[in-house]
Amino acid sequence: MTKPDDQALILREPAELQYRAQLDALIQADATTSRDAPPNAWKLSPRSVLAYITGTPKPIEATIGGKKVSVAITRKFFNDDALVERAIVTLASERALLLVGEPGTGKSWLSEHLAAAISGCSTLTIQGTAGTTEDQIKYSWNVARVIAEGPKPSNLIPSPTMIAMRTGGLLRFEEITRCVPDVQDALVSILSDKNIVVPELPDANMVFARPGFNIIATANSRDQGVNELSAALKRRFNYIHIPIVGDQKTEMAIVRDRSKELIERYKIPAKLEEPVLEVLATVFREMRNGTTADGTTFQKTSTTLSTAEAIAVALDSAIYARYFGTGAIGVADVAKNLVGSIVKEDLADLQVLKEYLSLVAKKRGAKDALWKAFHDAAIKAVASAS
Amino acid sequence: MAAELDIADVKAAADRVLAEELYWFPVRHHSPAVARHVRAAIRARKPKLVLIEGPAHANELIPHVVDSKTKPPIALYSSFRDDTNALGLAGIASAAPDIPPRFPVWYPLLAYSPEYVAMKEAAAIGAATAFMDLPSHGLIEPHPALREPEDGDEPEDADEPSPTGAASWETFVVESDFYQTMARVAGYRTWDEGWDSMFEIGHRHASHEEFRRDLAYFCAAVRATTPRGRMEHDGTLARERFMLRTITAEVARRKLRPADVMIVCGGFHLFLDRADPEPPPELPSGTVFATVVPYSYFRVSELAGYGAANRAPKYYEKVWDHGDTRGEDEPWVAAMIDHVTAVLGRGRKDGELLSAADAISVTQHARMLASLRGRPAPILDDIRDALVSCCCKGRPEEEGRHLLAAMTATEIGNAIGRVTPALGRMPIVHDFYAQLDTLELGDVMGKDKRTVVTLDLREPHGAARSAFLHRLVKLEVPLATLEGRGAEGGATLFREKWRLEWSPKTEGQLIEKNLYGDSIEAAAMAQLEEDVAKEQRQAGATCARLLESVAMQLPHLVDKLEAAAAAAVDEDRLFSSQCQALGHLLVLDRLAMQRDLGRPAIASLATRSFTRACLAIGDLGSIPADQHEETIGYLKSLAEAVLSPQGEMELDRALFSDSVKAAAVAAEVPFMQGAYAGLLTELREIDPAELAARVAAFASSHPTKMVLAGEFLDGAFAVSKTSLLLGAEALVAAIDTLLRAAPWDDFMTLLPKVRNAFERLHERQRLSFADRVAARYGLATTEEVSELPVTSAGAAAYLATLDARVAAVMADWSF
Repeated sequence: MTKPDDQALILREPAELQYRAQLDALIQADATTSRDAPPNAWKLSPRSVLAYITGTPKPIEATIGGKKVSVAITRKFFNDDALVERAIVTLASERALLLVGEPGTGKSWLSEHLAAAISGCSTLTIQGTAGTTEDQIKYSWNVARVIAEGPKPSNLIPSPTMIAMRTGGLLRFEEITRCVPDVQDALVSILSDKNIVVPELPDANMVFARPGFNIIATANSRDQGVNELSAALKRRFNYIHIPIVGDQKTEMAIVRDRSKELIERYKIPAKLEEPVLEVLATVFREMRNGTTADGTTFQKTSTTLSTAEAIAVALDSAIYARYFGTGAIGVADVAKNLVGSIVKEDLADLQVLKEYLSLVAKKRGAKDALWKAFHDAAIKAVASAS
Repeated sequence: MAAELDIADVKAAADRVLAEELYWFPVRHHSPAVARHVRAAIRARKPKLVLIEGPAHANELIPHVVDSKTKPPIALYSSFRDDTNALGLAGIASAAPDIPPRFPVWYPLLAYSPEYVAMKEAAAIGAATAFMDLPSHGLIEPHPALREPEDGDEPEDADEPSPTGAASWETFVVESDFYQTMARVAGYRTWDEGWDSMFEIGHRHASHEEFRRDLAYFCAAVRATTPRGRMEHDGTLARERFMLRTITAEVARRKLRPADVMIVCGGFHLFLDRADPEPPPELPSGTVFATVVPYSYFRVSELAGYGAANRAPKYYEKVWDHGDTRGEDEPWVAAMIDHVTAVLGRGRKDGELLSAADAISVTQHARMLASLRGRPAPILDDIRDALVSCCCKGRPEEEGRHLLAAMTATEIGNAIGRVTPALGRMPIVHDFYAQLDTLELGDVMGKDKRTVVTLDLREPHGAARSAFLHRLVKLEVPLATLEGRGAEGGATLFREKWRLEWSPKTEGQLIEKNLYGDSIEAAAMAQLEEDVAKEQRQAGATCARLLESVAMQLPHLVDKLEAAAAAAVDEDRLFSSQCQALGHLLVLDRLAMQRDLGRPAIASLATRSFTRACLAIGDLGSIPADQHEETIGYLKSLAEAVLSPQGEMELDRALFSDSVKAAAVAAEVPFMQGAYAGLLTELREIDPAELAARVAAFASSHPTKMVLAGEFLDGAFAVSKTSLLLGAEALVAAIDTLLRAAPWDDFMTLLPKVRNAFERLHERQRLSFADRVAARYGLATTEEVSELPVTSAGAAAYLATLDARVAAVMADWSF
């Protein structure tokens, strides 16, 4: 992908641009290591893909922009490394990959980085919805030109799938289970025969996939059973279930790293301090589990309180603090921005939040000023939302 | 603090051992790779004597181990009984000071255990074999009072013993800095994964000498980073002193050149101190018994965490079986294919849609994972991950649960060993099988099938079966489980329903219990006596034993236990224990007629127990919160006994009521206050309206007290249901008053407990309360609503009116 001259025009760079130095360094490292040749059309060897996603303990020496530099390979995905290994191996095999999990567990994030590392392009994406059609998966026509000239290869509009097949790249299919089953099944022949038939073009009626082509799909486990994949399609996918991060330390690391990155992107001169981060991570963790470490139990919310939600709250808090607050991100800012994340699908979640604040936050606030500030601000926010 | 690792020193230490004339071969328990190399070494060197790390007192069993009719998995079983209390542990390691402590130990051997293979191979070439390790009872620490004071720190709590009586050297591996660093760099998630990657898979080692060298280097590094105090603490050094002495003695006694002797032992022990001046520990005197017993793969896998465990015995058996395969189908690949097809076959039986194409994907995936992880061939961890990736369509614990179950079952297998008949059966095992035949229960043995039998206790055959099964339960022999005793469980006072299911542990447990007696009856009796001795002066426990003795039909014990129970009931001051005792005695009273028991004696015991329980109610004021629920349960059982008297038993209702009243006055915790009030309502000592008034009183009290109303209600609802419903209207009015009076914060504090209180009710009871609430707010009565035609314009209009009224009522509620 070409990087536009004016970088400021891009709100969010795709991974292959944002981490181009790291990818280049790994490509150079692969070239010097004979045992790790990249498979068909892959930009990186599987081991380097793994290193790109899970990070390396030491920086890599590389020549970037004609200069010898030391490039740190940062960790992109915080979860069990074995999941990443399984995902990489799946993409090197005959089967496609389906990342499944609760909302906000990093499925799309992992999918994007896998595509960036393996094929150098993470933007061949189909966003699955109830309105997705088979045309959007296979191809469509420039109708005006077809009327004028009839069906010709130059009048065909290729889908991201077809482009990925032609280039030996990776197709990202987001939220595949949002699509209706008939549309999903368009993928069966693409995954089995690795081709798309274009009957309108008798002289060029087949588009064959080049080596390297594969699909990374994602599905929300909350959608399971809505438009569940057919048995035929299931067989062509390896499922990898991404669990919600298991321990508070890792969850804090994710929120810390990701929110720092986002806050920098928005050019906000503030930092999420460790005590504030800890309160945020604790609230999410406890409300998700419906229990505290000391055994106090309360109702759980209907919304999945994922790590991604916590990151979003951190970013919202930073923006709020920058434009409407003191500039420093405090627990009160977090509290004000928490309500929208927790109360989404069901207004009853507001009562759950109230219960948590009364039973847990208030008690802690009696001994801890930070928790008191959080409690007081959250109570106000809840009152204004009621 | 672990020692620093000096590579040159480590290499030199290993090279010295490898260069010794005496031929040391390092092993890991249950490792097919080690077994294969040990076999090759024995064939190549043809030693005249093979000394093996096994209990030295079990040498006589070696011929039975290598007997062609013995089939692994088996175990060397050894038990030690300290008859004279030389170790001073009677009453500590046993139930009572007059009961000698017993110490049983198993040494499992699988077909591919290097020690077993060494014994078999030595027998095949005509070499002598002997065990050289310190018997496990040599490691039992005497009571501190009998120990000589030592310099330095006293060791803290000893680790839980492994099945072989001492921690395996592999524990040191996992703890060592050397291995931990290696695991971090290589990404090994477990020691099993580390071992398989380094030593088990692929033909990384072209010969047994290469393998021996690499394992020796590895173990030398582990040893170098293991503090000496750690080895002293867990008995490793004591064992090594014993091994050293045995090796020296055996070589001298048999007049052999050291080069004709091969030592097969844990890799760590290669580096035992040859110049250690300390003598090995003296073995304590007592009764030692050793035999060979059938073992099971399940049991070997259960010991996961110990060095003597094997995480997947059946899978490694496949690896062993394919050990000599060469060419494209190297052993690991052949074993993987066998294993994967077995898992998928089992999964299909459970209804999973798994095909041959899946098997191909799994094996391909496993190979690629192994390659990505830097291994020459897939190990079990890769295969597990590949199975989940390719065959589990969703969350492993949910959608993949059948697959996971199939994986576990296939990894472990269900093999059970067999011991040559030449060894003979132990008397208790013989008695067990004889009784199974007599009672026509033999069909259940050796089958992986569950059977249910219903016994009529009025028939002699049924009664005999029942007694036998109860005795097995007492001995914890896994064979029979008594299903629900009540009518809903298919059982009555005269009928019992048993679920019978043979387990590979059945015979092992019988052997473990052999020290209790030579027959099932004798062992059950000894076990019961031991339990009673442990529980002296505990009324509840002793009465439970009395009930057991009746169920097990041990008449000699019944009289003795009645006396013990009487003493315990008179001495025990604990409310809970007396309530338990009363419960058991009431059951015994019902059984008395049928079992020919002295009913008056039981009634007298029950009355005494009841009286003492009532008197102990006064002590309940200070019970901790985590015991409230349990206490409520006991109070309810006492109330039930009073309200539904049995036979001619005279339980003093007035005493119970007075005790509860006194406790209610003294109680400071609102939950217990509520419970007592509820109990008194149930006993008709107070009117439901009075209870409601107490609830309503909270509404006008200080906010700090008002918030306690939820706990009061929770307590009341915990004990009283029927009476509460009788006064439901008043109670609803009281709760309404309370909730209206509570400010928002106090309401939020009240809420969990009030919710808890109502959750204690049955759904019908909750609905009944809901009706009262509806009526209180002016809604139609249940009868009016239920009489409406189901589908009519009139009904629709009526429902619309109802809706409007509900909405109007709710609009007044300020949430």
